[in-house]
Amino acid sequence: MFDKVEAFYRPANVREALRLLQSGKGQARVVAGGTDVVVEGDDSVRYLIDITHAGLSYIRRRGTASVIGATTTMAELEASDAMQALAGGLLSRAARWCGSALVRNLATLGGNMANGSPAADMATPLLVLDASVVMVNARSRHKLPLAEYLAGARTKRHARSLLVEVVVPEPPNGKGCRWSFQKLGRTAVDISLVNVAAGLQLDSRGRVKWARIALGAVAPAPMRASGAEQRMKGRILDQALLAEIGAEVAREVSPISDARASAEYRREISSVLTRRALEECSAHVGCSL
Amino acid sequence: MNGDRAGQSRDRQGAVSRLVVGRNVRKVDGVKLVTGGAAFTDDVHIPGMLHGKILPSPHAHARIRRIDTSKAKALAGVHAVLTYKDVPRVPHTTAGQAWPEPSPHDTYLLDSKVRFVGDRVAAVAAESRAIAERALKLIEVEYEILPAVLDMEQAMAAGAPVIHDEPDSTKIYDRQRNIAGYILREIGSVEQGFAEADHIFERQYRTQRQQHCPIEPHVTICWLDADARLVIRTSTQVPYHCRRQVAMILQIPVSRVHVVKPRIGGGFGGKQEMLLEDICGALALASRRPVKIEYTREEEFYMARSRHPQILRMKMGVKRDGTVVASQLTVLATTGAYGSHSTTVQGNTGSKVLPLYRAAHMRFECHVVYTNAPVAGAFRGYGCPQGFFAQETLVDEIACELGMDPMDFHRNNVIRLGDTDLLSAQLGEGKEGLPRLVRSCGLPQCMESAARAIGWTQKRKSLPNGHSHLRRGVGMACTMQGSGIAGVDWASAFLKMNEDGSFFLQVGASDVGAGADTVLSQIAAETLGVTLDKVIITSGDTDITPFDVGAYASSTTIISGGAVKKAAARVRSQVLELASKMLDAPVDQLDCANNEIFTTCACRKSVSMTDLAMQAMYKEKLQIMDGASHFNTDSPPPFCATFAEVEVDTETGQVRVVHLATAVDPGTAINPMQAEGQVEGAVAQGLGYALTEELLLDAAGRPVNPNFLDYKMFGAQDMPKLTTILVETDEPLGPYGAKSISEVPINGPAPAIANAIFHAVGVRIRKLPIRPEDVLRALHAERPANLEEELLTQ
Repeated sequence: MFDKVEAFYRPANVREALRLLQSGKGQARVVAGGTDVVVEGDDSVRYLIDITHAGLSYIRRRGTASVIGATTTMAELEASDAMQALAGGLLSRAARWCGSALVRNLATLGGNMANGSPAADMATPLLVLDASVVMVNARSRHKLPLAEYLAGARTKRHARSLLVEVVVPEPPNGKGCRWSFQKLGRTAVDISLVNVAAGLQLDSRGRVKWARIALGAVAPAPMRASGAEQRMKGRILDQALLAEIGAEVAREVSPISDARASAEYRREISSVLTRRALEECSAHVGCSL
Repeated sequence: MNGDRAGQSRDRQGAVSRLVVGRNVRKVDGVKLVTGGAAFTDDVHIPGMLHGKILPSPHAHARIRRIDTSKAKALAGVHAVLTYKDVPRVPHTTAGQAWPEPSPHDTYLLDSKVRFVGDRVAAVAAESRAIAERALKLIEVEYEILPAVLDMEQAMAAGAPVIHDEPDSTKIYDRQRNIAGYILREIGSVEQGFAEADHIFERQYRTQRQQHCPIEPHVTICWLDADARLVIRTSTQVPYHCRRQVAMILQIPVSRVHVVKPRIGGGFGGKQEMLLEDICGALALASRRPVKIEYTREEEFYMARSRHPQILRMKMGVKRDGTVVASQLTVLATTGAYGSHSTTVQGNTGSKVLPLYRAAHMRFECHVVYTNAPVAGAFRGYGCPQGFFAQETLVDEIACELGMDPMDFHRNNVIRLGDTDLLSAQLGEGKEGLPRLVRSCGLPQCMESAARAIGWTQKRKSLPNGHSHLRRGVGMACTMQGSGIAGVDWASAFLKMNEDGSFFLQVGASDVGAGADTVLSQIAAETLGVTLDKVIITSGDTDITPFDVGAYASSTTIISGGAVKKAAARVRSQVLELASKMLDAPVDQLDCANNEIFTTCACRKSVSMTDLAMQAMYKEKLQIMDGASHFNTDSPPPFCATFAEVEVDTETGQVRVVHLATAVDPGTAINPMQAEGQVEGAVAQGLGYALTEELLLDAAGRPVNPNFLDYKMFGAQDMPKLTTILVETDEPLGPYGAKSISEVPINGPAPAIANAIFHAVGVRIRKLPIRPEDVLRALHAERPANLEEELLTQ
């Protein structure tokens, strides 16, 4: 593992990190907590660039948005007051499901996204929150929607760029807004077989005003169930609608079979977890199903 | 131990209560383990040490047409490259068993044919691991790829590729049909038994390939000492078998081999195997340098050993009142590419399982077949977890069909005190065995106490399930094992006294982390009448310690402990003889305890062990010392009752074990705390076996999940509430009444959980591991979709 690594850099800022990335000519790898990079142990890597000292560990407000630095750890997300207050603590709750306590002390939000795993635990809640990522390269700094980023996270598209922060716009809030994160693994510490995040805003008459459903580990990248979201708009959340949404989600996902679970099982669990997520949301707003 | 002589109490029969045995003393090796002392094989660095690496076969079945190592040899830093052309060809088994090993001799140090993905192609020793890995890539191999057979049900079929077509392998039952071993034994006549039965039940079960996952993978360091003898420092359960086998394979005298077993980070049977020692020794001899080989976790998964997968067909005939009259178990098992432990593990599936019930008619038949898959071997439970999964789930099904409480079914039918198990007489370690007489049996109490702990009576009747998708249920299983292999396992011990009244205890027994060194020291201290700190144990070093077959078959406490007790009794006689002279009192009026020898008459004279030792050495010119050998002609069974409460999610099929109660009869628990630790460890592995663990192979025989991300063991967070109960009995054949404990509790979780799932949701799962999607599929089959919808709208 890493037998070809010649140098381990720890740049003190983003500009230095980018310069090192540039001079690595494709043989440099950015590392933060190392919980994915070390496990992968890619033997083509000659330089490791540790960005945990590059000033990217923060959780801030910027205007109405929340901004989370790329090297903020899962443990920090879990414990942060600001994160516990945002969207019913959705991000904190999701972070708590990510790996073991030891892994959460190392694993970072940026790493969870940059690794590009379809099962990344933090991707679905961030999709529900309409998050964007900020990418920086030698020439520019630009923001792009998370979904767009995730679609290319495992390609060379961002090879010369650094994911520096995640931006979460002000989510709908008020009494009618509720959130849920559901995950199914084989054991307590496991990669998701399926994970689902949901956000719901109901109007004063109990009709769905705004809905977000995102699913992980059931498509090449974490995905939004847009069809299901559309179907919910303006309707009362009852058992019939839940069954309809469950069936729609099962149609929207495109899971694979692997050593962890079959595609059929993942498809069925997508419905079950979606229903549970929506039930959790509705239970919170006090509407009876 | 702070009791003084007066603190010794006697019960009414006049027996002295024990001061060391039966006490929760600390592990004698505990401090160095928890403080990171140089305890394990890999904790030392030998100057000039090279790193050994094995080139694994990428093919499940292939012949090596051409192999060129010249480029690898030319690489700077490479000191040895070995292929089949460079080493002696000696058919052998890697199973660490007593000579003559009952396993087929079908394995070669290196061969011109490879039989599974991971089989040895070549080996390299180089100055760093990186250089060794680079050298492996420089070895040019031309393979003739042969058709492979991976499915055990296809292995015997006409036209299946013959895996062991080499003429020089021996002890293979039928090589043309890939049958490594075949067993058929019958007690009474099952035909007659089934004719007498009112009901006959027959079901098929499947079990998977589980890996031991020891925290310390296999690791071996070999070097030549100053006298050019081969020293092997290795993670083994069987130092003496290893010495014999390596000497034979490398064709050097046994006297030129010195095996050292340091602390072991878990064996679980995977290290009852001569696995790396031969190739590491060959590299050390070829390079004349110290060589270390350590498996990576990935290599450990598919290049070490695993539990035999089986397909079991279990048939039982019962009377209307639930009395079992006949039982029959027909097994197809695969040993993978080599027959390590093939017939002996499978023999246990019959001999240790069927006799749990007092049926007059029993039949066990088994084919063990070769497949081009990773090699199976010894694994805690040794064939019993498979057999008990089949038998105990079938028994639960029978009880439910007959409308009986499974507890009552067990109460009426299980083996009891004074019974003789005749199947064991027919089915020994690869040959005829010896009958088993039950001289101690705490099984009824095990059942009652575990049932109480789980709340059986009340929970069988009513569970608060309602309409929730979470449904609870309780299930049970009874199991047994052995304590050593009757007439085969034997051990020896040697003790000598030091000037300060302490004793050196030398045993060939192998503490693999289970606490044997502590238990054996306790037995010696108790017998000698000294405190535990006066016993200094050395174990598992073939130059220093006397012979022992090693740590397997739940034998160490009863067999090695028996040897220690005998040796200690002899040394105690020598001590008392000298004390008799010093105290001017007859030997029969002397006793010793707490490092003192004292008269038991009114005169109350005494001498300390230290004074006696000084007297012996400098006045009498006498080294107090003695040794003893020990074996048993019977293998007393420890018994176990496992009760599980589960919660099944009917929408996801997930099974959560809420509470697991395990009650074990280990005879006397020499160290109750360690005994409980063994139960909890076995239960954790049993839970993984039941629910999550399975080493998967793809269609080409490559391992799919050889890492802990994809192969899921039970972690701390997954563990249910555990209740562990020791039901102590007094076994006449064991030292201080001890039998064994470390294997038997692994058998119960799978059937108890499967039975609890049935109680919870009414589906029978007959395949391990019980994965959520299998449960969900069974639920769907049981409850058609339209009914689901009906329930949903209720």
